Amino acid sequence: MRSVALGLRLVILAVFAVFFVAPVLWLILAPTKSDHALVTGSPFSFGSFHQVSLAWKHLDAFSDHIFRTWIGNSLLYAFSATAIVLATAIPAGYGLAFGTFPGRKLLLTLTLIVMIMPAAALVLPIFLELNSLHLIGSVLAVILPFSFFPFGVYLAYIYYATAVPPDLLDAARTDGCGEWLTFRRVALPLAKPVVALVFFFSFVADWNNFFLPYAIIADSSQYPIQVGLSDLLSSTPSFNPAQGGGGQQVNIFRPELALATLIAVIPVAIVFLLSQRALVRGLVGGAVKE
Amino acid sequence: MAEVVFDGVSKVFKDGTRAVDELSLDIADGEFMVLVGPSGCGKTTALRMVGGLEEITEGNVRIGERIVNDLSPKSRDIAMVFQSYALYPHLSVADNIGFALKTKRVPKEEIRRRVLETARMLDLEPYLKRKPRALSGGQRQRVAMGRAIIRQPRAFLMDEPLSNLDAKLRVQMRAEIKQLQSEVGVTTVYVTHDQVEAMTMGDRVSVMRKGVLQQVAPPEELYNRPRNMFVGGFIGSPAMNMLEATVSRTNGSTTIVAGEMSVALSEPTLASHPALQAYDGRTIVLGIRPEGLNDAALAGADGRPRLPARAELREALGPEVLMHFSVRARAAVTDEIRELAEDAGDDRTVEQLGSLERTRLVGRFGAQTRVREGDTIEVALDEGALHFFDASTGAAIVDEAAVAA
Repeated sequence: MRSVALGLRLVILAVFAVFFVAPVLWLILAPTKSDHALVTGSPFSFGSFHQVSLAWKHLDAFSDHIFRTWIGNSLLYAFSATAIVLATAIPAGYGLAFGTFPGRKLLLTLTLIVMIMPAAALVLPIFLELNSLHLIGSVLAVILPFSFFPFGVYLAYIYYATAVPPDLLDAARTDGCGEWLTFRRVALPLAKPVVALVFFFSFVADWNNFFLPYAIIADSSQYPIQVGLSDLLSSTPSFNPAQGGGGQQVNIFRPELALATLIAVIPVAIVFLLSQRALVRGLVGGAVKE
Repeated sequence: MAEVVFDGVSKVFKDGTRAVDELSLDIADGEFMVLVGPSGCGKTTALRMVGGLEEITEGNVRIGERIVNDLSPKSRDIAMVFQSYALYPHLSVADNIGFALKTKRVPKEEIRRRVLETARMLDLEPYLKRKPRALSGGQRQRVAMGRAIIRQPRAFLMDEPLSNLDAKLRVQMRAEIKQLQSEVGVTTVYVTHDQVEAMTMGDRVSVMRKGVLQQVAPPEELYNRPRNMFVGGFIGSPAMNMLEATVSRTNGSTTIVAGEMSVALSEPTLASHPALQAYDGRTIVLGIRPEGLNDAALAGADGRPRLPARAELREALGPEVLMHFSVRARAAVTDEIRELAEDAGDDRTVEQLGSLERTRLVGRFGAQTRVREGDTIEVALDEGALHFFDASTGAAIVDEAAVAA
């Protein structure tokens, strides 16, 4: 009986592994092969590192190093917007968790509603708003909408409401802290885990956001990487036969495309590793008797 | 240091609950005042109003010369010790203790000196660099105390600071806190639901019930002269026995009858309870402290009244034996008694208690008693341990003023 159960478990796990891991593996191996080898050779064979550097040369040469500009743009947009998110969402969550002002419940409900609304639904109104503020074409046109992150507010709210005992704040108040110092010296240092969490989610959301910048930015030198990737895609002959055969030689094929995609993932992975450290261990242990 | 005065203070919550009802209480400069009562009696709310953590609905709270109603907690110059300790988890023990001084921008060198001094007082020196999570419960409690005493504030507010410690540590800390307080001489308001803590620590004790102050008195007076049935039942462990009884006066002598037992009151008892005369023929509640009930076999022929009883449960404590026994009499059933039973975790309903033919009493018997469970015994009653309460108002029947209209 036990061996049957074990066998069944292995089969199920194997099916899932093949289904989910295979595409990722394929993607990682793709830049090591030439475009021809990619479609004719075994899907999980390894090509050569020479092919990887060749693919990078082609990618980097595309449109006068514009790939680097796109990565730079994405970093600028995501970091600036996330900085604004942290500066606003953490105090907002704190206020919602411990405040007793009129309209608190309403604000919480609104936060939830906006949080579950698909971001794409807001793109058109945001575009019109930015247009009437004459911001279209400036970097603020991307950063400001990215800075609106109700999920971060909600995370901070949940954290404060459940993990930080109100007694701690009362202790700070009787120890001579005004409301600002209570936040600055007690509530904020305790929020480390949720700061890391909001930082991570906000950064990833901004980094991966495609539709908003796609709709708002006209100048390709202002593209973030996600919009740039779609530009690359449409420059690849196998996806867009009209391209490549024309006057200029762009040298963007499937391995270059795969490499671009992989590079676009790296910043997210780094941010994840950094914020994960702060997430692992809660900070509040020992504050109050459990 | 300063006196703390409640002047007709009430707290009404948004849902209409009156948590504290017209509390008037003067706490003298340097006094150790304990607020005690069952959970939900408003004692913690009263304390938090002094600290500025709870808005005052009516009346005034005064600390020293200043009415503090509208002052923020930081401007009141009081230190608070929380039941949960509320230590700052991200700060070391030293930074926890010095937190308030840093807020006041005291020079670093002085903070260091005073933290060290405080840590010495509390035996915390070896732990100064640790975070709270690396401390035991008793150490955390001492850090919480240190955070308060380093301040030299106008008053200490303590909200059940010992209730999270185990029994042995609690007894030790009880004495330490009391000693610390008398050394630093800071006015202290101490909230607890533990009447033993209240009795052992307080210069005076305030008993509260449902937001209303019942009695303020030094511990001995509270124990010996409870103003009403609630105070009598709440203070003392084991609790005062309560029986339904009637008063009957026949040719000059006054007798208290409760079921099978009848006690003819002596002259001194009558003299100290003149109001009892007016209760002739009426039902009262008779309270008997456990120490007033002893094994008749040990008492000898001293002329004290005897009650026939059946031993039910024997709890040997060493120097004495707590004997639970039943007598033929009705247990008194009032709101107070229902509340006290609930507070003590007795889940029998009062109706059950009242319908019992026999009522259980507790007596403190001498250690030499040979009584065993199931024995039919005689219990000697000490008249001095008797208390008389009006059955409808619950007030102690002492002098004329206590007689119900």
